[in-house]
Amino acid sequence: MDATTVLAVICSAIVFAGWVVLPHSATPIVKASVLSEERTPVSVSA
Amino acid sequence: MKIDSGDTAWVLASAALVMLMTPALGFFYGGLVRRKNVLSTIMHSFFILCLISVQWVLWGYSLAFGPDKFHLIGGLEWIGLNNVGFTPNADYAPTIPHQAYMVFQMMFAVITPALISGAFAERQRFKAFVIFSLLWATFVYDPIAHWVWGAGGWLHNLGALDFAGGTVVHISSGVSALVAALVLGRRLGFGKEKVEPHDATMTVLGACLLWFGWFGFNAGSAVAAGSLATSAFVVTNTATAMAALTWMTVSWYHKRQPSVLGAAAGAVAGLVAITPASGFVNVMGAIVIGFGAGVFCYMAIQLRERIHVDDALDVWAVHGIGGTWGALATGLFATVAINSTAANGLFYGNPKQVLFQLAAIGASWAWAAGGTFVILKIVNIFVPLRVQEDEELLGLDISQHGEPAYAL
Repeated sequence: MDATTVLAVICSAIVFAGWVVLPHSATPIVKASVLSEERTPVSVSA
Repeated sequence: MKIDSGDTAWVLASAALVMLMTPALGFFYGGLVRRKNVLSTIMHSFFILCLISVQWVLWGYSLAFGPDKFHLIGGLEWIGLNNVGFTPNADYAPTIPHQAYMVFQMMFAVITPALISGAFAERQRFKAFVIFSLLWATFVYDPIAHWVWGAGGWLHNLGALDFAGGTVVHISSGVSALVAALVLGRRLGFGKEKVEPHDATMTVLGACLLWFGWFGFNAGSAVAAGSLATSAFVVTNTATAMAALTWMTVSWYHKRQPSVLGAAAGAVAGLVAITPASGFVNVMGAIVIGFGAGVFCYMAIQLRERIHVDDALDVWAVHGIGGTWGALATGLFATVAINSTAANGLFYGNPKQVLFQLAAIGASWAWAAGGTFVILKIVNIFVPLRVQEDEELLGLDISQHGEPAYAL
């Protein structure tokens, strides 16, 4: 195995291992009621 | 010299693939700007496709690839495609018509100034952009292309390797982008209000089309349909994928979430970095190059943000740094097992190749930076580079082109 291959294996291992160990923080969810208020149609009839 | 129909078909198809990259770039950039500037951003790429297509046949190809003058520039003997016919040119591509090679190279000359447009997006006056692009293509791109690829060019003679344009295309455009961002100054509200991409889907689609077109860019640079083109195709795909994976991992670590736009930017960084190396490295080298592109280009964006430079769409970070890494990595991982007409790199017993690569990197950085600065200052004497404040607030689609992008 030449030096380039060794480096490639190390790089791949770092990336693949990263997905396993990295924590994931979900974006805070906006309450559904707020969204529905924004979507309420405004009446323009007289 | 006998024309090979397979080689000719491949190079013409590659020219069409590379042509597609410029409008694809327009969509990649267009999604990243605010909706009031999307049309003007796409127009930069579309307009340059037209402008440089004409410049190239009139005098650009002659300056870049014409008979050598002092190892610095091509002569004017091929102006207006004079002496550029259908007989192959042995110096550049001995199995295809000379005009096929010319039109393939035209598409490289087209996309390079279009790349710079990402740096001054959302604030440059269109007229200034037109004049700048024409001068830049003539006085920055054409000389560097001659140094590196032209028969007799000094970097070519030195032994610097650049298969498809790491120095000629990406360092030149990336460094010029940084200079342009510094000369034009920041957008109104930069750093005070958040500038969100208006359509991330457009950007991802643009990145995918760039990836598709890049097969012509790199594999087409073999100027023959054979094993070298196949190798360039494979390493291009591998490095791109690896860079996208790496960027996602780094951004996940940094920002706690895997970014979709980050994946797209990472793919482009990988495409950039493998470009100079694509005809010289094997697939293991491509993995390392892709990994480096993901890490270094991401770090360059963090640095750019920290020093508050408004390179609006990170052209310097992706193309300048990605191109520099790719050019250097070519000196590390090149092997004659892939391309017997080239040279080995450091990892294959030839440390001198790194020095040649550094010379090409340094010369490209210096000429691009100096040339861009001078051209911008000259253009600014005749046409202000920036739009007025009220025009910038209104948006360039309306203020420069009189058309909205969306009638919703």
